[in-house]
Amino acid sequence: MEKIKKRFISEIFYSILSLSSIILLILGWMYLASKRPELFPSPQETWDRLILFLEKPIRRIPLYSHVLDSLRRVGIAVLLACGFGIVLGTALGWSRLVKSTFGTIFELIRPIPPIAWVPLLTIWFGIGEFPKVLLVFIGTFAIVVVNTAAGVKMVEPLSLAVGKIFQANEFQMLKEIVLPASLPAIFAGIRTALGVGWAIVLAAEMLGAVSGTGFLITKGMSIGDTALIFICMFIIGIIGALLSVLASFIERRICPWKTDR
Amino acid sequence: MNKNKTENTLLKRDKWKYGVIIPVLTVVIFLIIWELMVRVGVIPQRYLPKPSELGNVFIDKLSNPRPEDSTLPSNILSSLQVSLSGFLVAVVLGIPLGWFIGWYKGINRFVRPIFEIIRPIPPIAWIPLTILLLGIGFRAKVFIIFFSAFVPCVINSYTGIKLTNITLINVAKTCGASYFQILTKVGIPSSLPMVFAGIRIALGASWASLVAAEMLAADSGLGFMIMMGRQFTRPDLIVLGMVVIGLIGALFAFILSKLEKKMVRWRSIK
Repeated sequence: MEKIKKRFISEIFYSILSLSSIILLILGWMYLASKRPELFPSPQETWDRLILFLEKPIRRIPLYSHVLDSLRRVGIAVLLACGFGIVLGTALGWSRLVKSTFGTIFELIRPIPPIAWVPLLTIWFGIGEFPKVLLVFIGTFAIVVVNTAAGVKMVEPLSLAVGKIFQANEFQMLKEIVLPASLPAIFAGIRTALGVGWAIVLAAEMLGAVSGTGFLITKGMSIGDTALIFICMFIIGIIGALLSVLASFIERRICPWKTDR
Repeated sequence: MNKNKTENTLLKRDKWKYGVIIPVLTVVIFLIIWELMVRVGVIPQRYLPKPSELGNVFIDKLSNPRPEDSTLPSNILSSLQVSLSGFLVAVVLGIPLGWFIGWYKGINRFVRPIFEIIRPIPPIAWIPLTILLLGIGFRAKVFIIFFSAFVPCVINSYTGIKLTNITLINVAKTCGASYFQILTKVGIPSSLPMVFAGIRIALGASWASLVAAEMLAADSGLGFMIMMGRQFTRPDLIVLGMVVIGLIGALFAFILSKLEKKMVRWRSIK
């Protein structure tokens, strides 16, 4: 009884700690806002700006469709990256010949951060929809490939031996043994890719776009509208968190046997 | 015995073939195809430079400050300065923070909410706010780099210390160590492999967001150089910049993995 009571008290103490940190954050924000009102909008002003934005959209595009534009770019790119990435990754992990040919080129290009492709892509394709999707593709493709290859490499030799005994041909081995076994690794890659893709689309949109959250945030910067920047950062953060939750949910559905570390 | 020997030489030959000959051949063929594509005109020269040109551009850029008013070495130096300062601050602050969050429940409950609010915001999203607050100088860029490197440092050192083997902790407890002693003697050493993984991620992230920061707001640095390359339609400059950025990134990764091997030697005995 005494022990339960003690635990209860300490639990309350810790909850107060958590609560107080959030309150401290908001108080700090309000303090900065009162100190430098021209730079920091107060929480109230930020909220008003959000309402205003919902009533009077920028470039006549409502907020949700800015978000959807960004999400669509990420979605298309990640889907393509999964399609091509899983194929190349499997080949890299499976065949030494592919690894020493395509793998070499891949390893040479990979250290270049995706954002560094922006100038070249804009020279090639302008600032339309395609180069943005391509940029996100470049960034996410590498992640999917690396994870898939690692997963294929880690398939139990015993499972492969079983396949061999049953005289499976190479295609059957890949489809029935290697792919299912490396599914958790592939999904870990896809989850990372979603997060990274969400960051890259932001960069792509900040460097030239007419819609999307990245466009909104640079718009806020160029007209000195800090409240708009704050709103965008919140939205970006929330969507990023939601994407990661969504990815874990799908992961759990598709490979339920995976134990979380 | 004899059979073993031939097997060994076969293995060696295989290694030689797949590890050296084919990769080198691939790169050569890749470069030749690239060169031919541009020479024949499948890809116009204003879109892509010839690989054979890149050497000349590199040598020229070593001393020629045009078109963006700084030479290649000074660009590299400025980028390195910014990214290493931001990265080091993040490592020095982030790793101990992760340890403490993982070790002390009170700190965990206090810091966690703030950290979880900030964490999902990509570092790039901080750039506009940073520019408005700090301008486009050295401090602003260091701040952005700091953010991108800070999060992986904290997460990895936190995970590392959480994974500490409970038996080891109990042994230390039995020997009469205080909670803080257990942290320094057991928790921290056992978290080091994860910490190093975090540092590696942080370095890669800081190098990537450095390029973003320099492209959005800077007056020198490699990111600025490739951005100017676009403005003046100099694809040779852009590709040169990309190659240099990639090389330095790969060099960082290499140095870190060497350092890691040195510092966490016991890990190799799996």
